[in-house]
Amino acid sequence: MSTTTARTTARTAERTRRVGRVAGRTGQYAALVLYLVFLAFPLLWLISTSFKSPQELASIDPTWIPREPSLDNYRAAFDAQPLLRAAFNSLLVAGTSAVIAVAIAVPAAYVMVRHRSRVTRAGTAWILVSQMFPLVLIIIPLFLILRNLRMIDSLPGLIMVYVVWSLPFALWMLQGYVKAVPRSLEEAAAVDGASRLTTLRSVVLPLLTPGLVATLMFAFVTAWNEFFFALVLLKSPEKQTMSVILTLFVGDEGAADLGPLAAAAFLATLPSLLFFALLQRRLVSGMLAGAVKG
Amino acid sequence: MSLTAPRDRAVPGRRGTPPPRTPRRRKQALGLDHGAWFLLLPALIPILVLSVGPLLYGASLAFTDSQAGRTEPTQFIGVTNFSDLRFDDLFLDSFRVGLVWAFCVTALQLVLALGLALLLDQNLRFRWLARTLALVPWAMPEVVVGIMWRLVYHQDAGILNDTLASLGLIDSNLDWLTNFSLALPAVIAVGVWAGMPQTTVVLLAGLQNVPLELREAAHIDGAGVWRRFTTVTWPALRPVVLAITALNFIWNFNSFGLVYILTQGGPGGETRLPMLFAYEEAFKYGQFGYAAAMGLAMVAVIAVLLALFLRKRLREDVQ
Amino acid sequence: MRRTPTRTAPARAAAVFALAALLAGCGLGDEGPDDGTVTLDYLSLAWQAESVEANKALVDRWNAANPDVRVRYVQGSWDNVHDQLLTSFMGGEAPDIIHNDASDLTDFAYGGYLADLTDLLPPELRADIPEQAWGTTTFDGGVYGVPFLQEPRVLIANAALLADAGVRIPTTDDPWTWEEFEDVAADLTRDTDGDGETDTYGVAWSMSEPVSQSVNLSLSTGGQLFYRDGGENEVRYGAADSAVAELIHRQVNEDGTAPRSSLGMGGSDTLPGFFADRYALLPLNFSFRQQVAQQAPDGFGWSVLPMPSGGGDEGLAQGVAPQTLSVAQDSDHRQAAADFIAFLTRADHAVELARGDWMLPTSTTALADPSLSTEELGWRTGVELAAALRPSPVLGVRGYPEWKDKIATPAFQEYYNGAVDLEDLREELTDDGNRILDRYQR
Repeated sequence: MSTTTARTTARTAERTRRVGRVAGRTGQYAALVLYLVFLAFPLLWLISTSFKSPQELASIDPTWIPREPSLDNYRAAFDAQPLLRAAFNSLLVAGTSAVIAVAIAVPAAYVMVRHRSRVTRAGTAWILVSQMFPLVLIIIPLFLILRNLRMIDSLPGLIMVYVVWSLPFALWMLQGYVKAVPRSLEEAAAVDGASRLTTLRSVVLPLLTPGLVATLMFAFVTAWNEFFFALVLLKSPEKQTMSVILTLFVGDEGAADLGPLAAAAFLATLPSLLFFALLQRRLVSGMLAGAVKG
Repeated sequence: MSLTAPRDRAVPGRRGTPPPRTPRRRKQALGLDHGAWFLLLPALIPILVLSVGPLLYGASLAFTDSQAGRTEPTQFIGVTNFSDLRFDDLFLDSFRVGLVWAFCVTALQLVLALGLALLLDQNLRFRWLARTLALVPWAMPEVVVGIMWRLVYHQDAGILNDTLASLGLIDSNLDWLTNFSLALPAVIAVGVWAGMPQTTVVLLAGLQNVPLELREAAHIDGAGVWRRFTTVTWPALRPVVLAITALNFIWNFNSFGLVYILTQGGPGGETRLPMLFAYEEAFKYGQFGYAAAMGLAMVAVIAVLLALFLRKRLREDVQ
Repeated sequence: MRRTPTRTAPARAAAVFALAALLAGCGLGDEGPDDGTVTLDYLSLAWQAESVEANKALVDRWNAANPDVRVRYVQGSWDNVHDQLLTSFMGGEAPDIIHNDASDLTDFAYGGYLADLTDLLPPELRADIPEQAWGTTTFDGGVYGVPFLQEPRVLIANAALLADAGVRIPTTDDPWTWEEFEDVAADLTRDTDGDGETDTYGVAWSMSEPVSQSVNLSLSTGGQLFYRDGGENEVRYGAADSAVAELIHRQVNEDGTAPRSSLGMGGSDTLPGFFADRYALLPLNFSFRQQVAQQAPDGFGWSVLPMPSGGGDEGLAQGVAPQTLSVAQDSDHRQAAADFIAFLTRADHAVELARGDWMLPTSTTALADPSLSTEELGWRTGVELAAALRPSPVLGVRGYPEWKDKIATPAFQEYYNGAVDLEDLREELTDDGNRILDRYQR
């Protein structure tokens, strides 16, 4: 069936069903609102907390709107810790490692799907095993290796760790997306004499966009939020990342400097949200946009 | 149109067929030719150095009495750690908690995320905002998530008790995180909350694999929502669902940080996850050998469960 | 077709990031000037703003006075210092000067990661800090840290509720006995609106860390839980060891003078209820005064009272694990690092650090400083209690962390919650518990 006729018929059918649709739509919006309340209310609470005074935070009846909103917590947070520096470091580390991870995962995932062999099967098994083994036991040998590479207390060293850290997910998920790309397309390109790299770039990659974006988001957020590696691998105060800085607002026995913590945490959450807002369109636009516009 | 034209041929069953044998086959190393190696190596080398190496080393500790401290030399002790493990009732008990936790969180994550992904795939107004807000849990660093939820669950000053009380659902404030029967469900809710965004994103991206034409065709045929889902959407989404569910299960079984911030494993060990044991054994008591044995035991258990779960996909892989 | 942007945008981003990474790598990677000056890393766990300020000021003063030995202030966190230290010790990259607390030193000292400070510290410092305190950091004859700050547990009291109930206000000279405390808690417990539910509890025990409290408070009734028998550590749980735990159990499960729900809370979690008159007394560490002062509503009256006494000379005794300063065995400049520690803990500096952390200095000279014996904010109560502080019995016991996490914490939680009785608790702590300790003493 050709796409054009399918769409015309769909449009006619749509008109007759509009009434039922409205009810359906309302239900969908209601469900979506419920979801968003569940998922986003802690952020609202965080924002509200960040504008409250210590007295109000210790109050027994919490309110959503601060009674006497003030910026004191933001001031205190910036005074106490080098937040801008940390945000820059985090952005650098997360951005670079996400881009590198995706860049090297795509060709590898492609080979793992299209050229089944002992190596690629071992690779697939490895991906899962590496996610099963306790991280705590890997930290110390990893530390020693990085030390020999003179990569302790260096942001490039941390970037390398994050790349490897997000590769299993990237490879595992991208395999699924590559499998969904029709082989016939590549075969056509191969017949035209295109090299494998060209085929990958001009045929497979554009079709992978949603998967790529999902993977990119994952790699970025994982690195942005990662805490343990950053804690043990970085020493210099000026190299600390955001997630490590945030724990400095937490004290002994679970005591926390709530107001400034909330302020700093809100600022730490913003870049990821911004990143999502920018990328979310691409999450679906790849193939769909191609189909609609073509 | 060039890209989309062959798409209607892209029905399940066409995927993963073996590559055509070419003359290049002669120049292969380990079943891969030069071009394939060239594409594989940039990912392979860092993995070998920074993942395979440390991991094999870590696993090998399971057969030694490795400890923190440099005063005593490490010795090979065979399977002693594993035979000790068989009598470690606390560790075995925590497996029950770990399995309940991992199953519940993974299942709820999948069901809720699937619903959300389907909604976000619709052409609704403010979709961009909804998509961004749906990822809020992902954007918040773990330590903040833990502390925020502790505030939400706080017995005296928590927003949850406050809300439930004003709705008239409870008479007196509940102690969510310290009550022996509420603590595990309470942390499971947080686990689901925290893990939903990545599942949603993956499924949302996976939904783009559902051929539009098929969906529309089914629509015109007058198929109901449920039938459209089971006959068109689900078959195309299934590989992605399997992949993310497998990973989610591993991750959930292996996670303990969030729960630790919330309850420290209490009350009375109700929320002590098995990975917490391995962590404490290694980092708090410095018993690396024993911790590695715990790690391997967990790998074995998860591997068996996963093999059952993924047997179909694995069979496809072997073919 | 949207092919163009998807392909070039990541590529451009990659280039920008790679460049930035390169710049960052070059710009920040310098190891400092190579002109004979020494740079020492000081890992500080100071948390409260005043304390961070006091520490940084002292570091600046040191750097001004010692151009050859530069000290770099590195901020750590109590929350994760153990993991951070263990990794860097094993990787051979530890900070030179390490701030920690005595209970965390045992394994690091036995592991050979900390320097023995016996010959590195000036004799004046050795003399100024009482032997009791040095006992908390001495293992196998070596001194592995300078104990410099410590704090007793005290009762933070809602002044108005105590006045309403007309109870006798205790002092360090004439403290409540535990029996009296039980009666007072009953007097303070009220059902104000008469709906059959308690509105004000006499006391709220925050027991998110039940073990150290249960052990340390047992000293007041002559208990200690950990007994040394021919060089071997053994847990015993007799009447003297369990008296305070039994009282807490009674208050929660029989008298109804302490809420069950606070048992899972950390100290800070009990504050909102305290300010709202829900709890009249809070047993908290001395430094919690800072949070109380910062968070109390305007006009809220509170006071600092000594913990109840078990009677006799040792009635106010309690165990403590002081904060410590240690030197890494791997440090290339151990003497210089020890000199800096001596500088930080000099009596006048110790006063500044103590005030910054709302804690007590161990130094005898510092403790006598008039600025600490003010009535204000309960400082004097703390200073008067200093003489009653003893090394916590858990210090130096190998295997204590494992005993605590696996056996004692769940056992005490269940006991205080009323899920098991004293007999079960004793059996858990001693039978299963000693099996763990034995493994470390083979």
